Amino acid sequence: MLDFLSIDTGTIVLTLLNTLILFLVVKHFLFGRVNKILEERQADVTKTYEEADKAKEKAKALEADYTELMAKAKDESAEIVKNATKKAQVHSDEIISNAKAEANSIISRANDDIEHERQRTMNEMMNEISGIAAMMAEKIIKKEINQADHEALINDFIENVGDDVWQQK
Amino acid sequence: MGLKEVNITGPKVAFRIFGLNVTETVILSWCVIAVITGLILFMTHNMSKTNPSKKQIVAEWIVQIFTNMVKDSMGSINLRYTPYMATIFMFSICGSLISLLGLRPVTGDYSTTLAWALITFVMIIHAKIKNDGLGGYLIGFTKPIIVLTPINVISEVATPVSMSIRHFGNIASGIVITQLLYFALTMVSNAIGLDFPIFTIGVPAVLSVYFDLFTGFMQAFVFTMLTMANVGSAYPEPEN
Repeated sequence: MLDFLSIDTGTIVLTLLNTLILFLVVKHFLFGRVNKILEERQADVTKTYEEADKAKEKAKALEADYTELMAKAKDESAEIVKNATKKAQVHSDEIISNAKAEANSIISRANDDIEHERQRTMNEMMNEISGIAAMMAEKIIKKEINQADHEALINDFIENVGDDVWQQK
Repeated sequence: MGLKEVNITGPKVAFRIFGLNVTETVILSWCVIAVITGLILFMTHNMSKTNPSKKQIVAEWIVQIFTNMVKDSMGSINLRYTPYMATIFMFSICGSLISLLGLRPVTGDYSTTLAWALITFVMIIHAKIKNDGLGGYLIGFTKPIIVLTPINVISEVATPVSMSIRHFGNIASGIVITQLLYFALTMVSNAIGLDFPIFTIGVPAVLSVYFDLFTGFMQAFVFTMLTMANVGSAYPEPEN
């Protein structure tokens, strides 16, 4: 039994040893293990953040690409529409001009026909008239001899005017 | 039913090995170390990075609270002292709190607190030499004037002495008061003619909250904080 207030070398040495043992336990098993986990977790968090940043950047790049593509597509579509419109315009113009030309040719042909017909009719008429004149002259010459013949001729002529003699010719 | 004597003694010597006394204190220290080691192994067993269990959260909390304490009082460059500070705090608080189990507190033995104070003393000197060099450390004693050298030496030695005596004194006074109280309560029980010391049930528990729990925690905290403050100021963080 030691005194209440005593300094005992054995206790001091063994306490130092005990403290060292406990220190090693605390250092290795508590701080070592826990700090390792904390560091790993910290590394994970950092990694996650980095990955998130990367993903964000990627998304931004994709968005830029997409926007660019969209703009390009818009331009392209506008161009296509413009070209198509132009083509259609040209085409329609062509069709219209063709139609116009055709119409013109039809009209001119019709005019030609009409003219032709008119000419023909005119000629026919002329022939008719000349025929009539010749006939009349013939008749006149034949029947000049007497009044009676003359009158008969005129009458005959008049009679024949609306008759098939005219119309047959 | 005569007046008995109050006999307050030091720790018993259990056996001797290599000429060293293995006292009650040392054996109880082994028990404390075993319990703390068991708890640590239990808490840090099967730790998970992503899904910590309750015991792991407690372990992480303990580590972080000590890390923050050391960082605040000693600066980031002294973070490697953290495990030692945690050790001394846990050893001290558990060594004091075994008195709640009716055991003799480990810290109620001056040899224990003196051993710890010696560690602190060595740490302070080591930190000072690391900071100023051996020459700088020795010259430091002659400042501000050479006449103060003896006083500086005394104050250097006074740090561990005062720390160890403060810790020992607080816990030892708890032992003394508890024993006196038991003695007094037994006397009262005997005075009213009871063979069984009925008053010793319950009454000491109230005082024990102060003398064992509060003092035990307080002294562990004070001892650790003083160690941190002294070592930290001996090796301060360089100012930017």
